[in-house]
Amino acid sequence: MDTSYLDLLMAQQEEVAEEATGGGGVWVVADVADGAVASVTLEAIGTARTLADSLGAYVYGVLLGEGITDLAPTLYQAGADGVRVADHPALAQLALEPYQKVLADLFEAEQPEVVIFGATAQGQELAPRLAQALGGGLIEHVTAVSLDESTRTVQAAFPIYGGEYFEIVACPEARPQFLTIEPDAFPAPFIDSYRKGEPTLLDVEPVAPSVRVVGEAEGFEPPVVPLAQAPVIVAAGRQAGDLELVKQLATALDGRVAGDRGARDAGWIEAEQIVDVRGVTVAPEVYVAVGIRGDTFHNAAIEEAQFILAIHPDPDAPIFEMADLCLEAEPQEIVPVLLELLG
Amino acid sequence: MRVVVILGRVLDPGGITVNRRVGRIFINREKYILQPADRCALEAALRIKDSADCSNPTDAEVIALPRGPLPDDDVLRQALATGADRAVYLVGSPAQADDAVMARVLAATVEQLGGADLVLTGATTLDTGQSQLGPRLAEALGWPQIVDAWAVRAAGERVEVVCQNKTGYVIHDADLPAVVTVTPGSLKPRYPDGVRLVNVYKGVGEIAAALEQWEVADLVDAEFLKPLLEQRGRDFPPMRERGARASGTVDEMAQAAADALYRRVSR
Amino acid sequence: MDFTFSPEHVALRRMIREFAENEMAPLAMELDREKRVPFETLKKMAKIGLLGVCFPQEYGGMGAGETGYCILMEELGRVCTSTAVNVGTHIGIGATVIYLDGNEAQRKKYLTPLARGEKIGAFVLTESDAGSDAAAIRTRAVRDGDHWILNGTKTFNTNGSYADILTAMAVTDPTLGARGGITAFIIESDMPGFTVGTHENKMGILGSATAELVFEDMRVPHENVLGKVGEGFISFMKTLDMGRLTLSAAALGGAEMALEMAVRWAKTRKQFGVELAHKQSVQWMIADMATEIEALRSLIYRVAWMVDTGQPFSQLAAMCKVYGSEIASRAIDMALQIHGGLGFTRDFPIERAFRDARISEIFEGTSEIQRFVIASNIFREHGVRIRP
Repeated sequence: MDTSYLDLLMAQQEEVAEEATGGGGVWVVADVADGAVASVTLEAIGTARTLADSLGAYVYGVLLGEGITDLAPTLYQAGADGVRVADHPALAQLALEPYQKVLADLFEAEQPEVVIFGATAQGQELAPRLAQALGGGLIEHVTAVSLDESTRTVQAAFPIYGGEYFEIVACPEARPQFLTIEPDAFPAPFIDSYRKGEPTLLDVEPVAPSVRVVGEAEGFEPPVVPLAQAPVIVAAGRQAGDLELVKQLATALDGRVAGDRGARDAGWIEAEQIVDVRGVTVAPEVYVAVGIRGDTFHNAAIEEAQFILAIHPDPDAPIFEMADLCLEAEPQEIVPVLLELLG
Repeated sequence: MRVVVILGRVLDPGGITVNRRVGRIFINREKYILQPADRCALEAALRIKDSADCSNPTDAEVIALPRGPLPDDDVLRQALATGADRAVYLVGSPAQADDAVMARVLAATVEQLGGADLVLTGATTLDTGQSQLGPRLAEALGWPQIVDAWAVRAAGERVEVVCQNKTGYVIHDADLPAVVTVTPGSLKPRYPDGVRLVNVYKGVGEIAAALEQWEVADLVDAEFLKPLLEQRGRDFPPMRERGARASGTVDEMAQAAADALYRRVSR
Repeated sequence: MDFTFSPEHVALRRMIREFAENEMAPLAMELDREKRVPFETLKKMAKIGLLGVCFPQEYGGMGAGETGYCILMEELGRVCTSTAVNVGTHIGIGATVIYLDGNEAQRKKYLTPLARGEKIGAFVLTESDAGSDAAAIRTRAVRDGDHWILNGTKTFNTNGSYADILTAMAVTDPTLGARGGITAFIIESDMPGFTVGTHENKMGILGSATAELVFEDMRVPHENVLGKVGEGFISFMKTLDMGRLTLSAAALGGAEMALEMAVRWAKTRKQFGVELAHKQSVQWMIADMATEIEALRSLIYRVAWMVDTGQPFSQLAAMCKVYGSEIASRAIDMALQIHGGLGFTRDFPIERAFRDARISEIFEGTSEIQRFVIASNIFREHGVRIRP
């Protein structure tokens, strides 16, 4: 089959994206983690693309760091029209003043309409300072966006009281509009490996950071959170078989080990770890019940849990009426698989 | 050592019910609590004052300021009762004043106080989950910032902060003056002193004179009081569906569980 | 009529509620199981001034008045009756008697450390032969130069086993009885001749210490006579009058907690396909509990106001005590019934509340004595004198 015509078409697609100047645009400041572009950045670019298409504007990505110029193609492939790169030893680690200087100079020159950060340590430190310096509005921890096209204003939703409901807020006049977006809240964009571009390298004036890392906090112990307030709990019931898998799952989720009365009777947990109205009432964000049948007194103690995952072999186990996600399986069979998937 | 603490209040979520089905919020009990992270910030400030008192009793001063517009000065009275030396109640902020506006107002207030060595506030708000006030204020003051502190020590010209990174806890430091935001749950806030509390609320004694009231109009021009953000509506999560069974093989069920957990737990 | 609490009382309640929920609630079951006094909690309370809540600031107190004290007892009673009894005994009778009848020197020497919580107080009256018939005490005090020698045994004494400063009643003139024969003495626990006897094994309030106290040729300096010689009966009547108001505030707190727990359980527990909250029998119990609680609350804070404004309050305080102790027992009983079997288990707090509540109809003046006080006040207005 003669693919030469196809090759010709592909070659035409490999045009360098137009590096538009003249201001505006939807900008994404990339997070770099472990030498790669973080997935939240790709999600940001996908969102930026959607907004830019409605605005009739371009999407720009900004990379800061050392030795990160090679990451520019990833941003183009995710949908950026232009990429600016600040590659300098002074930017090797995230530090406020060096990063802020680069971005402030860049944004003053480019006058973005929208700037998107990931809601990461970088976004938390930089976005508010840039917003304050440039007179822009900032909405943090955004989980959904829409566009008010008449005023070219982004309407952003963010969680209230940890997700009880969402407020939708907009910045109708001040520019740039800054957003930090929650990781995993927006879909990953289509990665077009044929999309290419030539990044612009920025001059970096090294600026000294004002915060110094002194060293390890030797012997620092954070305050102990009582079980009743622990945000993640993995609880064992008789059908768990033993405590080992429950402990491993708790470690994987950075949670606390607990159990029902059956687990205590089996000698796996202490009395202070019993989740029951006659024991401890809990209100975690995530509660994993491993092999717990779920009688009324246990279930009444987990009423305030925001998300309940229950694993039990018996399809009629009462815990399944309470759980958000039910796995009818033997804990000893399914928990190892789950542990592998969680990494 | 002058430490300024910025405190706000929030509606107690225990008194609120959210009805997802009809998309409405019902306030069953209108009760306000201090922002938990701001209470930790006040505790951090008072601990700095406690340790400074050993070396030079007259040298440490804690001043409480409001995080946002307040209908009354109760938040500041609570701060005074708990141990703050002074508090300033700001009147005349627009009801919708957002963090951008407050950063300017608070920076002007700090300047009007004659400066400070350290500004402490909560790292995040309980209701809106926004962390921007501290850094915005740091920018408005032109000071360094350290966010998400677990412990704060300040003496002489430096502040030392315990922060958390991926591997554990590390110490960062910066020259004063600086802004530090304090993680909620990092410090156990102390209770107010009974005698101070009675006197502050009765308005008697030295402590009552420590509560001042300032006009925002005297600090910042009206053009800077216009909020940048406006509310456009609300959205509600989908109805909670209990009893959803994962289907398929053990591997498929485990995958469904892993997806659900990963989304909720990995931070 | 302005029925609102003043700002300092609102703020005080908020502070105490948080203290009670964070510092006391986690310990309540443990205190009951281990039968121990929560010394660590008392220290924390002293640090923030709670152990002198009603006394003037010039004596080391907080200056929140009787209203503030009722608020303290209500909030403590909500969470742990044992702790409320320790505190109520210390403030309401142990320190109050010195505040009411002490001279300036005694107030400075004894009331101030009590108000600051540096020392703990107790009030020593009851004997095996003298409960309701308090004037029938037989502990004898005989003058010897500038001292008095006390001999006798006191029973069912709260706090006395660990208190530092105790005010004890003794007979100084056996021929005169209540009118002129009884004197109050301030005792320090390290005075030679003072011994703590057997601790009682109680049904409830196991986190409070009840013991016998023995005076054996105990020498008490004459300057420690509280008030005038022979006027001890008046001192203790005045003190008990005040104490019974605040004890009923603790009962109010206990009743409120019972109501809260009953409502929460009724919302959760399903039987016959529907939550208990939808059953009329439960609704009526809840309504009755709530009504009695409101009535008690109004009565208590009105009497607290009367105390704070210097009005006579003895008859109404007796009403608070008898009504409060009885409705609290009723409310807790109904809450127990609503919880069913769960309420009967020791791993759940209701059965402890049930056992703890029973004593309030007996100590600090039995319900019978309260009724006598009320009736005697009423009949006196009509010119009839009745005897207990």
